Amino acid sequence: MSSRFKQDFTTVTLVLIPVAIAINIAVGQTIYTLKVPLYVDSIGTVLVGVLAGPWAGALTGLLSNLIWGLSGLNVTYAPYAAVAAVIGLLAGLFGESGWLKQWWKVILAGIITGLVAAAISAPITAYVFGGVTGSGTDVIQAMFQSAGFAVLPASFGQGVSSDPLDKTVTYLIVWLIVRALPERFMARFPRAENLKG
Amino acid sequence: MAQAFSLFTVRDSILHRFHPLTKLSSAGFLFIAGLILPGTWTAYVVLVVIALPLALLGKVTRAWLAAAWRVALPFIISVFLVQGFFWPRGTPLVFLGPLSLKREGLVFAIASTGHILAVVSSFLLLALTTRPDMLMTALTQAGLPGNIAYIIVATIQIVPRFQAKAAAILDAQRARGLETEGNIIQRLRAILPLVVPLVLGSLVDVEERAIAIEARAFNRTGPKTSLIEISEATWEPPVRWVIVGVMVGMVGLSIWLR
Amino acid sequence: MGDRGGDGGDGGVEYLVEMIALDNVTYTYPVTTTPALQNVSLTIPAGQFCAVVGANGAGKSTLAYTLAGFVPHFYHGKLNGKVTVAGKDTAATPLSELVLDVGLVFQNPFNQISGAKFTVREEIAFGLENLGVQRDEMLARVEAAMRVVGIETLADRSPLALSGGQMQRVAIASVLVMRPKAIVLDEPTSQLDPIGSREVFAAIRALAAEGSTVVMIEHKLEWVAAFADRVIAMAGGEVVADGEPADVLTDESLLTRGLGQTRYTLAARRARELGRWPAERKLPVTLEEAVEGFRK
Repeated sequence: MSSRFKQDFTTVTLVLIPVAIAINIAVGQTIYTLKVPLYVDSIGTVLVGVLAGPWAGALTGLLSNLIWGLSGLNVTYAPYAAVAAVIGLLAGLFGESGWLKQWWKVILAGIITGLVAAAISAPITAYVFGGVTGSGTDVIQAMFQSAGFAVLPASFGQGVSSDPLDKTVTYLIVWLIVRALPERFMARFPRAENLKG
Repeated sequence: MAQAFSLFTVRDSILHRFHPLTKLSSAGFLFIAGLILPGTWTAYVVLVVIALPLALLGKVTRAWLAAAWRVALPFIISVFLVQGFFWPRGTPLVFLGPLSLKREGLVFAIASTGHILAVVSSFLLLALTTRPDMLMTALTQAGLPGNIAYIIVATIQIVPRFQAKAAAILDAQRARGLETEGNIIQRLRAILPLVVPLVLGSLVDVEERAIAIEARAFNRTGPKTSLIEISEATWEPPVRWVIVGVMVGMVGLSIWLR
Repeated sequence: MGDRGGDGGDGGVEYLVEMIALDNVTYTYPVTTTPALQNVSLTIPAGQFCAVVGANGAGKSTLAYTLAGFVPHFYHGKLNGKVTVAGKDTAATPLSELVLDVGLVFQNPFNQISGAKFTVREEIAFGLENLGVQRDEMLARVEAAMRVVGIETLADRSPLALSGGQMQRVAIASVLVMRPKAIVLDEPTSQLDPIGSREVFAAIRALAAEGSTVVMIEHKLEWVAAFADRVIAMAGGEVVADGEPADVLTDESLLTRGLGQTRYTLAARRARELGRWPAERKLPVTLEEAVEGFRK
């Protein structure tokens, strides 16, 4: 994988990342106005992972959350930068393994990513934010805790109730988008072979 | 600068004149101290003793407090409700109908609020008093790879455009009859017609932007120079080292104490 | 068209009689079968203002990218024949070197603003920073470039908060500041409103007046007729006409190959059909020529 490092970070990748982060933010905000129980704030991250490899994806996720925080738009995203980095990394790994070529694998990738995201988010939610996210899923946190679970496991439960669905929707959207891209365009990206066939 | 996606406000303050890395390390110190040090009320002490004077020094107190409050409020309400009432096997203090306020939960909520405020305040303080491009230039001079700095600054500058594009697509689709209010199914259906055009339209630009950067010799290896010069007072570098040293010490201490 | 005598030069500036030379160039993009350029051969002397016209898909943009070296280095694909720019074989020279000799300006102003800088002045200096130019020299060159394109008053503004015409002039200045030997512009005004177009053409006229070799792809034929020393018409990836604006832009056979005509030519053609313009008199391409012709 390290030999691909230089290949992955072509100029096109470098220019793609800011665009991807801007997509994360613009889409995330649009979804927020729709008031649906989803975040969909990682489309760009997953896209970069698939098109340019795991490390590019990880970098996209990491910087995306840090910028979201530094911009003041949603400061609370910043501590979750590590989670976003892992999402990008996973997207790259799934892409490499050709999981974006079949719809059911896309869904599975989304579910797995969601579970991993929930697992890594849980300690952050528990220790930085006291087990809450300020959103409706806090009800789930309350439920688990009243059933006797400590803050950390309850946070994981809270994550599992929302992340797998959210990431599956994200992966499906990315899948639809890469299918809609013409082949000549796809050839520009380092990992175009992830999506052929 | 007004177009860029950042909180930076121009002020003639002492804090604004500090070197960006000094402000970064101070914010980092605040973040670590407020988060890691043990004790329920420690974070509040840090905020009052360190963060507040810095905000005053930066003449951004009102904006800082307002933003911090706005961001942290949902969390604070949630944490008191969730932990206060639903702390597992806690000692009840007050009974409100079927629910009871737990002592451990309240203590935890107070500590958590301190953590949340520390995290939020440190980022906000940095964002309000530091020009992003200055921060990136300073980091690059200190060794941050130019590519990373480029990504951060470029993102900050293009996000407003993307937000505007997203809003335009929303309007256009609504005008063609897309339902964005109403029941949950309708709102979920609205996702694709809003998201896909935005992403596809944005990806088309990527190729040209890559060519434009190449044409400006961005990929050239070799030393680069900088048009803007960042000044710093002589006391700043040693003070920065002290701050970083204390930060590392705090992290070490909290690990050792566990 | 101006032969510049070369004196090779110990210590002097090398004058290149031929700035650009294409020798039987055929190029096919990856993943496609039809060549975008077919057997293109032409030479452009230093200092000439050469316009390239033709319908969409005729290969004009591909030609632009070929002159700047992005074909083949960025786009890959199959390039046959030899492309020599500023004395260098583009296929054999690294892209990082070629971009210093040929500046490229294209249609979308926004895509040419790097986003890496917060003010116009810094944005223009961006290329020089990458080249490691000393600060004093950078400041001087940036000021000069801003003056050429007329954007001194915008120096401290955010480059992304400008109008299309202003942004495009920033893009031109950013290219100019690197002192390329030739500048290629691919439909620089197609995304601009009339005021923006006028600003940009004025800027292009200014930089041509400084003696740069300019290759401009353009649909607005009235401007081509006003500025260009020479017009190359393309269709289907081939060069189908090459000569003075007055000849190429009035060539009847090109009308069927997708080339348009200036308003003045159109008016005179109609007049000729109605018997108001003598059949043997040359058709006009500029306003002045039309006025003169109609006056007689």
